[in-house]
Amino acid sequence: MKTITVAIAGNPNSGKSTLINAIAGTNLQVGNWPGVTVEKKTATLKIDDLIINLVDLPGTYSLSPYTQEEVIARDFLVREKPDLIIDVVDSTNLERNLYLTVQLLELGIPIILALNIYDEAKKKGYEFDIEKLQELLGIRVIPTVATKKEGIKEILNAIKDFAYGFYNITPKKINYGEDIESSIKAIEENLKVTNPLLLSKYPSRWLALKLIEGDELVMKEVDLIGDETFLQEAKSHLFKSHDEDIESMLADIRYGIANGVTRDVLKKKDGKRVDFTEKIDRIVLNRYLGIPIFLFAMWFVFKFAFDFSAPFSDWIDTTISGPVTKWTFHALTVVGSPQWVISLLTEGVIAGVGAVLVFIPVIAVMMFIITLLEGSGYMARVAFVMDRLMHSIGLHGKSFIPMLLGFGCNVPSIYATRVLETERDRKLTALLVPLMSCGARLPVYVIFIGAFFSDHAPTVLWSLYVLGIFMAIALGFILKKTLYKGFAPVFIMELPPYRVPVFRDLMIHTWQKLKHFVIKAGTYIFAVSVIMWFLLNTPYGVEKENSALGRIGKTISPVFEPLGFGTWEASSSLVAGLIAKEVVVSTMAQIYVKEEVEEEKEGVDKEKGFIDDLKDAFLSFGFAIRDAIENLISGFGIKSLSANEEEEQRPLKSKLQGIFTPLTAYAFLAFVLLYWPCVVVGIAMKQEFGSWKLYGQALVIHSLLAWFVAFAIYQGGRILGF
Amino acid sequence: MKLSELKIGQKAQIISINTKGIIKRRLMDMGVISGEVLKVEKIAPLGDPIDIVIKNYHLSLRKAEAQGIEVEVIE
Repeated sequence: MKTITVAIAGNPNSGKSTLINAIAGTNLQVGNWPGVTVEKKTATLKIDDLIINLVDLPGTYSLSPYTQEEVIARDFLVREKPDLIIDVVDSTNLERNLYLTVQLLELGIPIILALNIYDEAKKKGYEFDIEKLQELLGIRVIPTVATKKEGIKEILNAIKDFAYGFYNITPKKINYGEDIESSIKAIEENLKVTNPLLLSKYPSRWLALKLIEGDELVMKEVDLIGDETFLQEAKSHLFKSHDEDIESMLADIRYGIANGVTRDVLKKKDGKRVDFTEKIDRIVLNRYLGIPIFLFAMWFVFKFAFDFSAPFSDWIDTTISGPVTKWTFHALTVVGSPQWVISLLTEGVIAGVGAVLVFIPVIAVMMFIITLLEGSGYMARVAFVMDRLMHSIGLHGKSFIPMLLGFGCNVPSIYATRVLETERDRKLTALLVPLMSCGARLPVYVIFIGAFFSDHAPTVLWSLYVLGIFMAIALGFILKKTLYKGFAPVFIMELPPYRVPVFRDLMIHTWQKLKHFVIKAGTYIFAVSVIMWFLLNTPYGVEKENSALGRIGKTISPVFEPLGFGTWEASSSLVAGLIAKEVVVSTMAQIYVKEEVEEEKEGVDKEKGFIDDLKDAFLSFGFAIRDAIENLISGFGIKSLSANEEEEQRPLKSKLQGIFTPLTAYAFLAFVLLYWPCVVVGIAMKQEFGSWKLYGQALVIHSLLAWFVAFAIYQGGRILGF
Repeated sequence: MKLSELKIGQKAQIISINTKGIIKRRLMDMGVISGEVLKVEKIAPLGDPIDIVIKNYHLSLRKAEAQGIEVEVIE
């Protein structure tokens, strides 16, 4: 058995992930690089007697130490010393891609270059002298069309040939010109004498180049400060002969090499000029049409994400809270389980499983859409169009998508922050996303608006959404100046050509995200649901007022006194809302009007038999598919959420009218809108950012924000005489 | 002349990059180096950022960054 480690490197948009999916398929393991939010994909393949460990490096344009991705890629290459690099290159843009290849060559690791998107380049009339490219760089070159799985077998064979020593690949040392070469030599010579240990740890040519560049990270790592005499001496003639800084000089040289090689190996004949991308962009990014088209596209994305998934979520919800709960209840009763066990299993455990499952449709659809937007190239256009606006609150244009999706559900939005380029952007966006009023808050609004503002319902509802957006702008502004000072995100971004994404890639990606969510987040959500049951039901059988939740509510209720709703009922409901904001309503219903609701439920359910229920569940799944498709075709509507709940909640409404005034009701709604993001958002944050810290920040910041806003509304309203 | 002052459709050659640190490095990594010829292709509907073609691909950057790039119009 022989084992070989192969790193896959390449520019973003070079088709790297498609190539990996084509090579490894379902073998791919997706995780994060330690301590950061950058995705790490690995796979282990076994071909005959050979074990290949594939490691996908983040897509980068360069190996300079300025983005997290670049540092990760570079550290892996330098420290883990893979046996081989597969460098995925976009054939239609050879020169810019070779800039990275030139830097990879500095490491002295053998390279197989996948000349990807070869079909498109051919169509454009590009002709490559592959032999010459191999010879000039000392690498192996294989044309590939990853989307059609062409060239994959050849790559695997090349890896095998290399592993067994049938094919030697010795990377060329490319001449960087006399000035640089003499500096490299001087440094290498000096280190050989003074610090041989260092040279055994790092590729010597690479290390010398980094020292010449004055790369801060490398300097720190090797314990040099940069003004050592030997370094100064080695570099001195560079300053004399060039007035540029050394970094620019090296970039020039590397691009010079990339340019020279490209000219030597690439002949451009007159091909079909398929400027598909330009044609689309001329319309999509048009000065006048741009915004309307963009808004339409976003409307469609949103609609697709939520209207399409909602019927499936509803189906899961009704099936679990209906037949599944009912039959578990019956089964347990027959067996003679004690009351509290039945309650724990049905209201705690099954409800917990349900809470996880209802997220599946929305996360699946949303991940599909995000991958589609990214893969097609439209995500970059969204950023291009929206950057001006998002930049004003210290964010990158790409933040728009997570924020927009936040109006449907904040949870997948947190996952969607991954499209952003820097950790700071991701965190800042994730902190602002919960201010986008999600679908779960709607039931709360609907009840209160129905009870207090039925004459001005649309205005009041609208005002809450606007309040959320306004608070996001304000909070973005504050965070930008305080916690997330850092440097404002730079916007230097490629607008990649439009490409039709491969369906297989979309499915693989969606599946991976989903699996991750169900396994990791599922456990937590489940646990939280069970904990909530205990809070509501211990000691078992007491009045809600004396349950653990009731007592928590009572203890913290003075905090809400200045906001106008300092009752234990309101504060208990708010605490329960930590699970999901719509739980505020169901808890209120349990507390205020417990008896009526329960009686009603029991009465209706018992009549149907098991088989009927099973049939119903299947039938309603069919209806869910129909509804999803109908929703996609028909107009935009929040109808599904509000209409049928109206009737059921009448007793709660009249209770509320006795307890709240319009002013306190509005303050309460503002509080619900802004206060602590639900625990599922927290779990997503933990998953995405590796620690609970961000959720901790969110809990504190949002609760304070909610408190002050509700305070201002209530006290201000009182002064104004409401 | 500065890159940010070019009009849509104008071609120019880069004379120098007068920013520092990360931004400069990033620009250079993306192929924005002196001597290179670029063309301003589009300006975003809200007036910023801009879209240029350089080294045979489309690159978008904000006017703030484009201000630090000195160019000479050639067409």
